[in-house]
Amino acid sequence: MMTLPKMILVGVAGIVVLAASLSAAYIVPEGRQAIITQFGRPIGEPITEAGLHAKVPFIQDVQYVDKRILTWDGYPNQIPTRDKKYIVVDTTARWRIHDALKFIQTVQNERGAKARLDAILDAITRDTISNHNLVEAVRNTNSILDYIQKRAEEAKKKVAEGTILVAEEEEITGEIEKIQTGRENLSGLIAKKAAEELKDFGITVIDVQLRRIAYEASVEKKVYERMISERKRVAEKIRSIGKGEQAKIQGKTSRDLQRIDSEAYRRAQSVRGKAEAESSAIYAKGMSQDRRFYDFVRTMDAYKKSMKADTQFLLSTDSDFLRLLRSSP
Amino acid sequence: MSFSTHNGGKAGDPFQDFPEEFKKIIEVMRTRLHLILYGAGAFFLLITALTSFYTVQPSEEAVIVRLGKYLETNTPGLHFKLPFGIDSAVKVRTKLVLQEEFGFRSTEANDNTTYQKDNFAKESLMLTGDLNVADVEWIVQYQISDPRKYLFAAQDPGRNIRDVSEAIMRRVVGDRTVNETLTTGRVEIASEAQRLTQEVLDKYDLGIRVVTIKLQDVNPPDLVKPSFNEVNAAKQEQEKAINMAEEEYNKVIPEARGKAEETISQAEGYAAAVVNRAKGDTERFTLTLQEYRRAPDITRKRIYLETMEELFLRFEKVTIVDDKLKGLLPIFGGLGGKKAAEVVE
Repeated sequence: MMTLPKMILVGVAGIVVLAASLSAAYIVPEGRQAIITQFGRPIGEPITEAGLHAKVPFIQDVQYVDKRILTWDGYPNQIPTRDKKYIVVDTTARWRIHDALKFIQTVQNERGAKARLDAILDAITRDTISNHNLVEAVRNTNSILDYIQKRAEEAKKKVAEGTILVAEEEEITGEIEKIQTGRENLSGLIAKKAAEELKDFGITVIDVQLRRIAYEASVEKKVYERMISERKRVAEKIRSIGKGEQAKIQGKTSRDLQRIDSEAYRRAQSVRGKAEAESSAIYAKGMSQDRRFYDFVRTMDAYKKSMKADTQFLLSTDSDFLRLLRSSP
Repeated sequence: MSFSTHNGGKAGDPFQDFPEEFKKIIEVMRTRLHLILYGAGAFFLLITALTSFYTVQPSEEAVIVRLGKYLETNTPGLHFKLPFGIDSAVKVRTKLVLQEEFGFRSTEANDNTTYQKDNFAKESLMLTGDLNVADVEWIVQYQISDPRKYLFAAQDPGRNIRDVSEAIMRRVVGDRTVNETLTTGRVEIASEAQRLTQEVLDKYDLGIRVVTIKLQDVNPPDLVKPSFNEVNAAKQEQEKAINMAEEEYNKVIPEARGKAEETISQAEGYAAAVVNRAKGDTERFTLTLQEYRRAPDITRKRIYLETMEELFLRFEKVTIVDDKLKGLLPIFGGLGGKKAAEVVE
C-alpha cells in the first residue's frame, strides 16, 4: 500500500499526463480541416488530413473550419434587366474554404463568410443581370429559334399536304430574340467575378446557379394579361378558321350539288334530243314512201285518238260518210 | 478516460478535514472498494461489448470512421469495430430511392424547415423561352451511390440537389416555348433535366446518382388557365363546325348523285321509248302501205269507214243535219237514245 503523499503525487502526475496527452492529441474529422494557433498566432500549414494529430499541449490551440462544399443561399433580389424588365432573381452558390488560414484571418467563420458572400454575390448578380436583356437570363441557347422554325416548316408542309388546315401561330406568343450570352454563361460570369473577389478570403466559388427567375409582381400581372389576350386571340383565330372552313365546305356542297343536278339535266336532255332526232329520222324515212297515204292514215289515227265520247257531233248528211243515207249509190 | 481511474484518483485526497459523516462514507467505500471495482469492471465490459458491434440493415451501408478518419465502407450484416468511439459507424441508406418534390409536397414527405416558409408556387413557376410563365411541378429521385462522398463532400447534399435541380429545370424550360412545355416537350424536358442535373452533381462529386426526374403537373399559371382552356374549346368548336359542314355535304351530295343518275336513266328510258315507237309506227305504216298499194282505193275507203265506224260508236250524241232542209233549226239534245244516230227529216 502506497503512502498518502505518494498517492497524491501519483494522482497529480496522472492528471497532468492525461491532460497533456489530451491536449497534445486532436482529431480532425472527415470533411473538416484544422489550423493550429499558438497564443492566437497561426502555426504552420492547415491540417487537411482527417484523423488523429498531435500538437504542443496547452500552448497551442486548434481551430476547425469546413473542408466540404458549402452552400450559399442568396436573398431574392429585384433587379431591372437592361431591357427594363423587373425580375426577381434568386441565386445560390456553392463554395469551399480553400485557404483555411486566410479564411480564419479575414472572415473568422462561416457566418462572417456569409456576410461577405452576400455583399459580393448580390452586387455582382445585380450588375450582371442589369447589364443583360431578360432573355439572356431565361434562355441558355438559341435552340428555341430552330424549334420555332422547324415547327413553322412542318406546319407549312402539312398545310401543303392538306393534313392540317392553317398553320396556327400558337407557338410563338411571346418575344423571341436571339441571345448572345445565355443563362449558363451568365451564371458562369457571376461565378467568375465572385471567385476573383473572394479569393482573398480563402474562398473558392465552385459555381453560381440562377435558381429562380421570376417576374416582379406587377410585371407578372402584365405578362399574365398578355398571355390571356394572346390565348384569346389564338382561340378567336381557331374559331374563325373553323367558320371559314365550314363556309368553304358549305360552298363546295352547293357547287357540287348544282353541278351534279345540271350535269344530269344536260345529259338527260341530250339523250332525249338524240332519241327524238332519231325517231324523227325514222318517221321521215318510213313515211316518205307515200306522203299522201301517210297524211290519210295519220289523220285517221288522229281522229281516233283525239275525239272523245262526249263530243257534241253535228254532222251534215252531205258528208262523205253519210252520203248514202240520202241517195242510194 | 475510464471510470475506475477517476474514482481512485479522488479516493486519496485529504479526508482528514472532512466531517464525521463523510468520513464514515469514505470508510465504507474503502472497505467495499472491491465491490465498486467489480461493478465498474462489469460496466466497462458492457460498454465495450455494446460499442464493439453494429448491425447494417439490408438497405444500408456503413461508413466506418476511425478517430475522425474514413476507414472503410461496410455492407449489410453484423460487424465488429473498435469500442469507445474510436471507431464510429455512420449508416447510410444507399439502397433507398430518395425523393425530392418541387412545387408540391406529398403528405409523407417530411421536409426540413428551410422550405416550409417558401411558397410552393414560387418553386414551380418559371419563365419559358418565349417569356411566358409555366407552372411546372416535378420530382427528383436519387440514390446515394457513394456513402463516403455523400457524407463528406458537402455540408448539405440534399440542399444542393434541390438547388441544382431547380436551376437546371428552369434552364431546360427556359429554352422551350410555353406550348412545348405544356404539351409535347414533357418527356424531353425531363430527360434533359436529368442528364444536366447528373452532370452538375457529378461535378460536385457528391456521390449521388439521379435515378429519374419526372414532370408532374405542368400547367399554365392559374390566372391564365381559363384562357388556355378557351383555346382548347375553340379547337373543339372548330372541329365541330367543320364536321357539321362535312356531315351536310355527305348527306346532300350522294343523294344528289343518285338523283342525277335517276334523271339520266329516265331520259334513257324515254329515248328508248321514243325510238321504239318511231320504229313501230314506221313498220306498221310500211306494212299498211304495202297493202294499200295493192288496192289503193279500196284500202283507203276501208280505213276511212273503219275509222268513222269506230268514232261514231264512241260518240254519245251525234246530230245529223240534212242540207236540203232549209230553215229548219237543228234540235239539240233530248232527241236520241244512247249511242243511236237519229235522222231528222
